[in-house]
Parts: sequence; C-alpha cells; structure tokens
Amino acid sequence: MVQQADYTIKLPVFEGPFDLLFHLIKKEEVDIWSISIADITAQYLAHLQSMKELNLDIASEFLVMAATLLRLKSKLLLPRPNRGSIQEEDEELFEINTAEELFQRLEEYRFFKEAAQDLKQREEEQQKTFLRSTGGQKVMVFIRQESVYTIWEGANHLSNIMHRFARATLTDTYTPAFSIVEDFVVAEKAAYIHAFLVRSKRAIAMKELFATEGLWEVIVTFIALLEMTRQHKVALLQECLFGPILVILKQEPVQKEEISGERTTEKND
Amino acid sequence: MEKEQQKKTIEALLFLSEEPVNTDKIATVLSVSPEEADLLVFELQKDLSAALRGLQVFEIAGGYQMGTLPELAPNLEKVFSEDISSNLTEAALEALAIIAYKQPVTRIEIESIRGVRSEHVLENLIKRKLIRVSGRKEGPGRPLLYSSTADFLKYFGLMNLEDLPPLEDELREEFTE
Repeated sequence: MVQQADYTIKLPVFEGPFDLLFHLIKKEEVDIWSISIADITAQYLAHLQSMKELNLDIASEFLVMAATLLRLKSKLLLPRPNRGSIQEEDEELFEINTAEELFQRLEEYRFFKEAAQDLKQREEEQQKTFLRSTGGQKVMVFIRQESVYTIWEGANHLSNIMHRFARATLTDTYTPAFSIVEDFVVAEKAAYIHAFLVRSKRAIAMKELFATEGLWEVIVTFIALLEMTRQHKVALLQECLFGPILVILKQEPVQKEEISGERTTEKND
Repeated sequence: MEKEQQKKTIEALLFLSEEPVNTDKIATVLSVSPEEADLLVFELQKDLSAALRGLQVFEIAGGYQMGTLPELAPNLEKVFSEDISSNLTEAALEALAIIAYKQPVTRIEIESIRGVRSEHVLENLIKRKLIRVSGRKEGPGRPLLYSSTADFLKYFGLMNLEDLPPLEDELREEFTE
C-alpha cells in the first residue's frame, strides 16, 4: 500500500517563539547555556524568512521574539549606556533584557515542553483503556466559565435560569461546545406531553409543563414543545402580552393511553 | 462476609461505577478497614489477571476504577471509536503541563512561559474539564487562577499530582544529558 505521507514534506509546527528557538538549539546540539546570541538570532531570522516564503502566517509573537533577540544582540555589541535611562517598562510577553534571562526562560520552557510530551504519552496509554459510561444525557450547552463569575453574579429572574444552566454545565462530567439533545429523550417527552394534554382536556398552561426541578428536563420539555409546534401537533396561544401561554392539542388523540413516566415511542407522521 | 463474597462485591461495585471509587467507600460498603479494603482490591486485581479476563482494576484519580485491557483497544475501537476523545494539541499539552506543575496559575504566567497567547487554549481546556478556574489572584486586575481538575487525573491515568515526574529530577536529568 502506498502511503500518501511519503510524498508530503512535513514542516514542524511551532507552538510559539520559544518552541522555534528550542528547535534551533536542539539542531545545533548545544547546551542552552552555551548558545551564541548572534548565531541563534541569525538562524531565527532565517527561519522566519523561510516561513514567509512558504506563505505561512507568522504570528506577532514570533516577530516580538525576533526583535527581542536583535535587541539582546545589539546590547552585547554596543557599550552599555547609563543604567535606568533606557529602562522601558514593557508588559509584553517577553520581558527579556539579558542573554542570561533568555537562557533561563528557555530552560524553563524546555522543562514544560518535556512535561507536555510526558502527558502526551500518558494520554495515548490511557486512551487504550475503555471505561464504563452510560450514554446520553450528559450533553448540554457550553457557557464560558469566566462569564459565570462576572456577568451573571447576583442577577435576577432570567439570569437565575442562566445561572442554573451554567452550574449544571459546570458540574456535568462532559460538555461539548454544542447543544445536542438525544432524540429519544425528546420523543419520549413529546409523548408524555401529548398524553398530558389528552388527560387535561386538550389545553394546559405552559408553566404546568415546567413544574419540574430538573434542568435537563426543562430543556427537553422546551425542545419537545417546539418540535410538537413545528409538527402542528400543538398550538401555543398567548392572549395578551406577558399573559400565560396555553398549550392546545390540535390533533384528535389517537388513543387514550396512560403514559405517565413510562417509556413510549412516538411515531411521527 | 466471606472473603470471596467481599471480592465479588468490590468487582460489582467497580463494574457499576463510572467514577473512581476510593478506598474509604469500599471499606464502608464491606465494613472492613481501609487497609483490608486495599488488600482485597489488590487480590481482585490478581484474580482478574490470573483468570485471563478482559478487564482490569487500576488506581486512578484517588480511587479504583475498572476498565478494559489496553491490548484490546484495537478491537474495541471498531465499536466504541466515537467514545475516544480527540487528542490534545501540543499547545494544549504545554499549557496543561504548566498548570499541573505551577497551579494555581494565571493566564499571563502561562503565556510568559510559553511565549504565546494562550486564551483560546485555556478556553478549550476548560471546555474539556481538564482545568478549572480556582479563584482570583490578589493584585491588579485580580486575574483568574487556573488549576487542574480530577478529570485531568483521570484523563492521563494519574492517581494524584505526585504521580507526575518531579520537577527537580527532570531538570537534573537535563543538565546531565
């Protein structure tokens, strides 16, 4: 079998300027502490140039590092001016003023780079072991954690609901970025609502359906209602602004059935 | 309770549980001391491997959990491939490593080690529940502090944070290389 990979040249993807510097140092097979700033600067710039030729986006961080290296290099070449006079306070990512500092930073980066590789190995090992899990019902909306603390703190009514959402998502074991609701759960809920409507002489206040405490159930109920409305199985009626919303059964009930809580399958169309 | 019965109970307990079960819980269930509980789990581990079963019991995130043998992965993946979460990126692993060793740590601290903006990476790690916001740092701007979670331990098969290679040893190794 011919593998496609044989024909493609794979360029290393650098996770940042330190990563690139690190790569260059490794190539030289020298100790971090014995690199020459002049050499490494030249190599770094050459690499940026080749990245440019390959039309790769060069992130600003790489350019900042290039500038930092050049500054270090020039400092080594030029006689030192009065201390303090040119001390600019920059809050940038690289507050590197001496070669010593650069080496220290690289050394630190190197450690975490290796720790990351160790984690990667563990990840691979761990993925070979499958654990028991019950499917479904663990998927919900993702809300940025930061927002929970800042925007919604101490808010009222609507935001209380959002708060409950957020809490539930944060304590949940698994949260993908999108809201996915298992179809069968919604279908079940729709069947339940249907039966509820039949028993309640075909019209109920919407809030009755949301009497439940469970957040998950509220979501499923809501989606089930939307779905039933779309399928013209129920109509939603609001007589005045902010008035109660009525849920009205549109179709003739096929059969009277007692469903409460039981699993039933709903046949659509 | 008879010993065999106790081991069966542990096996059943671990079989049913989706989360790691700690020694104390097992001890409470069986009304034995924690030491005895650990010993029983150890024996169960031996029994499972001696009986050539497809399952194993391992220590993870402060407790015991039952899972499949790694060697079975190629076949199991044919059925359960969608259960495997996509691998973390290099950037995510770097950020995680920094958080694991230096927690609680701010975003700026992480970024200054990596030399790259890491907002997006952190957001993804939070989404995957591998890290959490553990508080705010005192000082200007009161930046958020990040820490690793129990899911982090589970994800990497670690019993606790001490399971990570120690910082000093790693650095020492580097110098002698």
